[in-house]
Amino acid sequence: MASINELMTERRGHAGSAVRRRTNFGIFLGPAIALTVLFFVIPVIIDIAVSFTDLDRTLRVSKFTTEQYQKVFQGDRRLPQVIGLTFIYVFSTLAIFNVTFGLVLALTTTSLNDMSGGFFRGVWLLPRMSPSVLYILLWLWVVNPSDVGLLNQFLIQVLGLTKPLDLMTTAPVALVIIANGFIGASMGMIIFTAAIRGIPEHLLHAAEVDGAGTLAKIRFVTLPALRWPISFVTIYQTLSLLVSFEYILLLTKGGPFYDTTVYALYVYRHAFASGQYGYGAALALFLIVIGIAVALLGWRFFDLGRLLQRPRIEVH
Amino acid sequence: MAAPATFTGIDTRLATPADWDRLAARARSLRRAKAVALYAFLIAVSLPIILPYFWLLTIAFSTKTGVADTLVLWRSLAVLALAVIAFWLAAMLAQTRRQMWVGVTAIALAATIVFARLVGPDLHLRNFIFLVEPDFASIVRSRAGEVRGAVQFPSVWRAFGNSTLIAGAQTVIVLTVAPLAAYYLSRFQFPARAAMLRSLLVLHAFPVLTLIVPMFLMLYWIGLLDTLAGVILVLVAFELPFAIFIMKGFFDAVPWDIEMSALTDGASRRQAFLRVVLPQVRNGLLAIAVFTFIRGWEEYIFVFTFLIRNTNWTMSLYMYYVRDDVMGVDYGVVSAVGVFYLVPSLILYLAAQRYLMQMSIGGVKG
Amino acid sequence: MARVEFHNVVKRFGDVEAIRDMNLTIEDGEFVALLGPSGCGKSTSLFMLAGIYLPSSGELLFDDRVVNEVEAKDRNIGIVFQSYALYPHMTVRDNVLFPLRFKRIPREEALGRVRAAADLVQVEELLDRRPSELSGGQQQRVALARALVKEPQLLLLDEPLSNLDATLRLTMRTEIKSLQKKLRVTTILVTHDQVEATTMADRIICMRGGRIEQIGTPDDLYHRPDSLFIAGFIGSPPINLIRGQARDGAVHVGPVAFPFEGLPGAVTVGLRPEHLKFAVSGLKGRIGQMEPMGREILYVVETDVGYVRVLEHGSLAVHAAGEPVNIGFSPDESLVFETASERLIAAARVCPPA
Repeated sequence: MASINELMTERRGHAGSAVRRRTNFGIFLGPAIALTVLFFVIPVIIDIAVSFTDLDRTLRVSKFTTEQYQKVFQGDRRLPQVIGLTFIYVFSTLAIFNVTFGLVLALTTTSLNDMSGGFFRGVWLLPRMSPSVLYILLWLWVVNPSDVGLLNQFLIQVLGLTKPLDLMTTAPVALVIIANGFIGASMGMIIFTAAIRGIPEHLLHAAEVDGAGTLAKIRFVTLPALRWPISFVTIYQTLSLLVSFEYILLLTKGGPFYDTTVYALYVYRHAFASGQYGYGAALALFLIVIGIAVALLGWRFFDLGRLLQRPRIEVH
Repeated sequence: MAAPATFTGIDTRLATPADWDRLAARARSLRRAKAVALYAFLIAVSLPIILPYFWLLTIAFSTKTGVADTLVLWRSLAVLALAVIAFWLAAMLAQTRRQMWVGVTAIALAATIVFARLVGPDLHLRNFIFLVEPDFASIVRSRAGEVRGAVQFPSVWRAFGNSTLIAGAQTVIVLTVAPLAAYYLSRFQFPARAAMLRSLLVLHAFPVLTLIVPMFLMLYWIGLLDTLAGVILVLVAFELPFAIFIMKGFFDAVPWDIEMSALTDGASRRQAFLRVVLPQVRNGLLAIAVFTFIRGWEEYIFVFTFLIRNTNWTMSLYMYYVRDDVMGVDYGVVSAVGVFYLVPSLILYLAAQRYLMQMSIGGVKG
Repeated sequence: MARVEFHNVVKRFGDVEAIRDMNLTIEDGEFVALLGPSGCGKSTSLFMLAGIYLPSSGELLFDDRVVNEVEAKDRNIGIVFQSYALYPHMTVRDNVLFPLRFKRIPREEALGRVRAAADLVQVEELLDRRPSELSGGQQQRVALARALVKEPQLLLLDEPLSNLDATLRLTMRTEIKSLQKKLRVTTILVTHDQVEATTMADRIICMRGGRIEQIGTPDDLYHRPDSLFIAGFIGSPPINLIRGQARDGAVHVGPVAFPFEGLPGAVTVGLRPEHLKFAVSGLKGRIGQMEPMGREILYVVETDVGYVRVLEHGSLAVHAAGEPVNIGFSPDESLVFETASERLIAAARVCPPA
C-alpha cells in the first residue's frame, strides 16, 4: 500500500516545491525565530559588548575598555560579600524550603484524604498564585516593627515578649529566605505530590504486609521513587533562586545597605540605581553563562528521544 | 556457616494469640495519634499563610479609622474555625449521605447567622473609595490630617485597563506565534530541526531576568523604552519558549492519522493545520492563554524597570505606590486595593488549575 | 497455628457493597481457592485478611481472636500480588531480605534464611539481579520467596499465575502445590481460572457479586454444583444447559426422556460435554463447528434445543461439518436444576459418595 508521502508526491508531482517549503518555514517559524533572536540572542551580544565599555548614566559610550572586568576581579570590595550571601541564600532556601519542606508537604498532604490534602496544598499555593507586589505587601504587614505587625502581635500576646521585634533590621537575611521559601516550597510540593501519586499502590501494600511502618514505607518505597523529581527540583530551583531578585527587591530593597543584596540584585542596583551599565553588564555576563550552563544540564532530565521524534509526513 | 534454615512454619518470635488484642489496641491508638499529629502540623505551618490573607480580607471590609486592627480578624476566624470543626464532626457522625447534607446546611446556616451578628455590623465598603475617586489619596490623608502626598494617582480603572491591555496583547501574540512554531517543530522535517529543538529546551529553562540590563539598553536604542509596546514585546518574547514547549507537547499527542486523512482528502498542510489539527489542541491553547494572561497581569519587575515616567500605570505599579504612599496612613484602602488586585489572579488560577498538573510534568523522565 | 474465620463480614466502598455478609472458616494448613469472575470480591477478601482493607462490619478471626484492627505489619502474613510488587530499586536479595528487617534477626541468620527461601523456589542464582532484569516467571518466584521468608502463618496469593504463559503456568501450579504441602502453611489462592482452583486447592470457595455461592472440594463442585452459575463456571469446556420439562415422573428434553422423581415444572438439564457421545438415538442435530484440541475434539452441534457441545476423545475426526448426528447420554450423569430458582434438584448419580 502506498505511503502517504508517495501518495502526495504522486498527486502533486513533487514533495512540495522549494518555494512552498520556504513560505511554510517563514509563516510558521518566522515570527518565533525573529522574537527569539531579538530578545534572547541580541541582548546577550549587547551584554557582552557593553561589558567592554564604560557605559554609564549618560548612556554614551566613550571608549572600549576592560576596566569593568578588572573591577570585578580586583576592584570591588563588596563583591565577595555579595557572592557569599548569594551562596548562603540559595543553599538555605533550597535545602530548607524548596526541597525539604516541599517534600514534607507532599508527604503529609498525600497521607490525608483528598479533600483535606487538597485544601492544604491550595493554601500553600496561595503565595505563588498572588502577584508579587501583593505577597510582599502582606509580608511587610506581618513583620511590621510596631505592635501592629501580626508577628509581633503573636509574639507579645501569645508568647509574652515585651518589646516588638524588627526583623527587617535584626534578621533581614532570614526574612528574605523565609519569604522566598514559602514560594519555592509550593513548586516542590506539586511535583513531589504527582510523583507520590504515581507510585503503584501494591508496592506500598506489599511493604505494609512485609512489616514496614509509616517511616519505613517512606524510606524504602516513597523516597527511592522520588530520586529523579528531587534532582530535577534541585537543579531547576537552584537556577531559579540564583537569578531571581524580585521578592528581595520588593521586601528589603537589598538593604539594610547591601546586607540582603544577592548577586542578581547587585547587578540590578549597579545598573539602574547607580547607572553603571557597563559594570552591570559585566557582572550580568557571569550570571548569563551560569544560566546557560545549568539549562544545558537540565537536558538530562528530558526524554530527548520523545522530544525529537521524527515527523511522519514529509510533504508540504 | 550457620545451619541451613528450615521452614517449619513456626517461629517462636512471632505473636502468640494472646498478643492480638494488645496489637489491635496499639494499632488503634497509633492511628488516631498519627491523624492528630498530621492535622496539627499542617494547621500550624499553614497558619502563617492563612492569617495574613484573611487579615487582608477582613481589613479591606471592616477597618474604619485606617488602623490595622485585628478584632474582626479573630472574630471571623473563630466563627470559621468552629464551623469547620462542626462540618468535620457532621461528616464523621452522619450515617447516610442525606443526614450529612442536612447537617452541613444546618451548620452553614447557623454559622452565617452568628457571623452576621458578630461581625456584620463592622463590615462596610468605604475602603473601596479608590474605585470611584481617583484622588482618594488626598482625601485619605486629609482625613488623617496629613500633608498632601507626593504621588499623583490616576484612576484605578486606568491601571486596570493598562494591565488588561498588556496581559491581553501579550496573550494574543503568544497564542498566534507559539502554536505556529510548535506545530512546525512537531510535524515538519527540516535541516536544523534537532538543533532548534535542543535550543528550545535551553531557552525554556533560561533565566530571563539576567537579560534585564541589556534589554533595557536595547529598548532605549530602538526607542521602545517607556512604552507599553516595548513591555508587551519583552513579555511575549520571554513567555514564548515555555508556550512553544507546552504546545509542542500537545501537538505531539495528536495522532498522525487525522492529518494523513486530511491530506488525502485534498487539503494542503496549512489547511490541515487550521481545520483539523488546531481544534485538537484546544486544551493546550486554553492552558497557555490563561497562564500567559496571568503572567502579564502580575508582571512587576519589567514594568517597573521599563516604564520610567509613570505615565502608563499598571495594576502592579498602582498597588506598589498605593502601599508606598498611603500605607502609613490608611491600611483599609491599601488592603482594599490589594483585594481588588488579588481576586482576578485567583479566579484565573482556579480556572487554570486543571491544566497545572498536566503541564508541570510533561516530558520529564522518571 | 492459623485458623482463619470470617464472621458476617461486610465491606463497603462508598455506597458500593463489595462483600456482603461473608461467613467462612478456613482450617489450619488448608489450601483453599477463592474462585469467581472479576469483581466478585475475592481480592477484596484477601486484602482484608492481609490488613490492607478494614472490614466495614463483621469480624475477622485468626485462631479465634478478632484481628480487624491489627495492622498489616503485625499480622505475619505473606502475600504475592498479581503484579508481584517487587521493590524496583532493590536487588532480589534485598527484596527477599526486606521482611526480615523488621523482625530484629541478626544479619547472618537473616541472610541464611534468604538463601533458604531462594533455594526453595529456585532463584538462588538471581540474588544479585534487579527485578527489571527478570522474566515474569522469575519475578513471581522471587515474590513467593519474599512471602515465605518470614515463615508466615498465612500465605495469600492474588492471581499469581494469570500473568504467566501457558507452559510456565503448568509448572508453577505443581510447584506451588508441592511447596504448600511441604510447608503446611494455610494458603488462600485467589483466581478466576477454575482449572487453577480445581487442580491446586483442597477446597474451593466460589464467589459471585460479593457473596459466597458454594464451598466444597473440587469434586463437590463438579458433581454437585448448587446452582446454574456454579455448574457453568466449573468444568472446561463449559457444561451444556438445556431447557426441559419435568412431568409425569420424567424429565423431557427434546425427544429424550428419562425417569425423574421430582415436582413437575420447568427444569434445566446440565450435560457435560465429556459425558456426551454420538449414538444411534438421542438429541437430534447437525454438526456445526469442530475444534480439534490435540487429544480431543470439541464438536458444536446445532439441535432443536440449542447448541450442544460434545467432547470426543481421540485425535481423528470421525464426523464432518454438516453431518446429521444423534447425541446420547446417560441420565445418571445428568444434573437437573429448577429453572426458576437455578438451584440443583437432582445431582448426578454416578459420582463418589459425598
